[in-house]
Amino acid sequence: MVLRVLLFVWIAVAMTVSLLRAPLVPVLEETTRVLYFHIPAAWLTVVALGWSMIHSILYLAKRDLRHDDHASAAAELGLLFCVGATVSGALWAKSMWGSYWNWDPRETSIFFLLLLYTAYLALRGSIEDEEKRARLSAIYSVAAFVAVPFLIFVVPRMYETLHPDPIINPRGKVDMDPMIRWCFLAMLVGFTGLYVWLQALRVRVSRLERAAQAA
Amino acid sequence: MPKAGSRSAAAVWTILRKECRSEWRTRYGLNAALLFAVASLTAVSFAAGRLSDRTDLLAALFWIVLLFATLTSMSHAFVREMEARTMLLLRLVASPTEIATGKLLFNLLFLAVVEAVTVPLFLILTGAPPVRWGTFLGILGLGTVSLAASSTLVGAVIAQTRGRGALFAGVSLPLLLPVLAAAVGGTRDMWASNPVDGSLRLLASYAVALLAASLLLYDHLWED
Repeated sequence: MVLRVLLFVWIAVAMTVSLLRAPLVPVLEETTRVLYFHIPAAWLTVVALGWSMIHSILYLAKRDLRHDDHASAAAELGLLFCVGATVSGALWAKSMWGSYWNWDPRETSIFFLLLLYTAYLALRGSIEDEEKRARLSAIYSVAAFVAVPFLIFVVPRMYETLHPDPIINPRGKVDMDPMIRWCFLAMLVGFTGLYVWLQALRVRVSRLERAAQAA
Repeated sequence: MPKAGSRSAAAVWTILRKECRSEWRTRYGLNAALLFAVASLTAVSFAAGRLSDRTDLLAALFWIVLLFATLTSMSHAFVREMEARTMLLLRLVASPTEIATGKLLFNLLFLAVVEAVTVPLFLILTGAPPVRWGTFLGILGLGTVSLAASSTLVGAVIAQTRGRGALFAGVSLPLLLPVLAAAVGGTRDMWASNPVDGSLRLLASYAVALLAASLLLYDHLWED
């Protein structure tokens, strides 16, 4: 209970300070504020995907349905954060580059993740038997695990992108004003805490549903 | 070990021959795929006319036609087994990996036949500029291997669900996007006389990664 209140306070404070008090970055100007929301959302999309895939592999190895609970919960939450990242990115693109969507390699990557999550959840929805659903969606998840590095890392590096890279730059250093860096890290921690909490909740719901069905 | 290896290879070869023979009996799948490829090609050519100077559009349209032909026809390899209820018998005589490899080779052959008809027709109907055959066949070949590998795996998964048709296309697409990106890029570069090494490398590594992952996963596919 205490942790949840703490998380709420943390995110509230971080968001207020970020939006009202943090300085602006030269090229981005007023749109700097998007990085406090858009980047954590994109980060969590990838984290959720990784968590889902790890648990899919664990399920195939151990056949414990608890791993499937984690995999499906992570996929649902990942979809949520992915939509958030895509929409915030599109809004930012409109104000910065003049159009909502341009198939810029970064935009393509996030769209691909959106498709992947949706396909995974659609596949899950089409299978009724619990064990078969866990097994087949785990297989698909592992196959997608192969495709993800290609589309996230290889393709964007192959083509020029307009997407700003304030964090991962050629010099490899974190190149931000200290105040911005702290606000950004605070938002990142807050979002991650939010994800961990939602994930735990969702897994508990799955287990309760299964226990109720067994009874 | 050599005996087990040659027994495996024999099983794969037998399954491949069985697939070819049962396909040849009705030719239903082949006819459907060819008809679809020609129909979509006709639609493209009719609507867009001759596109000799638009090699970027040509590259995209070419791979879209191939992708659609794949998505509509590739699921039948496993679905046919499930519907004819011969899957159980097949699993009694061969291991999952052998079955899947046999079907993968069949899908490759199938796609090769469809492409043998579609590619010349495409080049003629759209008035495409001269093709660098070595590079073009390299891109086409590697792209086809990825298409077949992905379709075999997804087909095997989908055959056990209620979804089938529409679900197959939707579930395949994320796995096929890297192929599409690299293949369209490579084809466009081929026509523009730019280097295609990057695209070829991407296609090759993706095909290998997907094949490797599929071979590891087939054992988990059928377990009841």
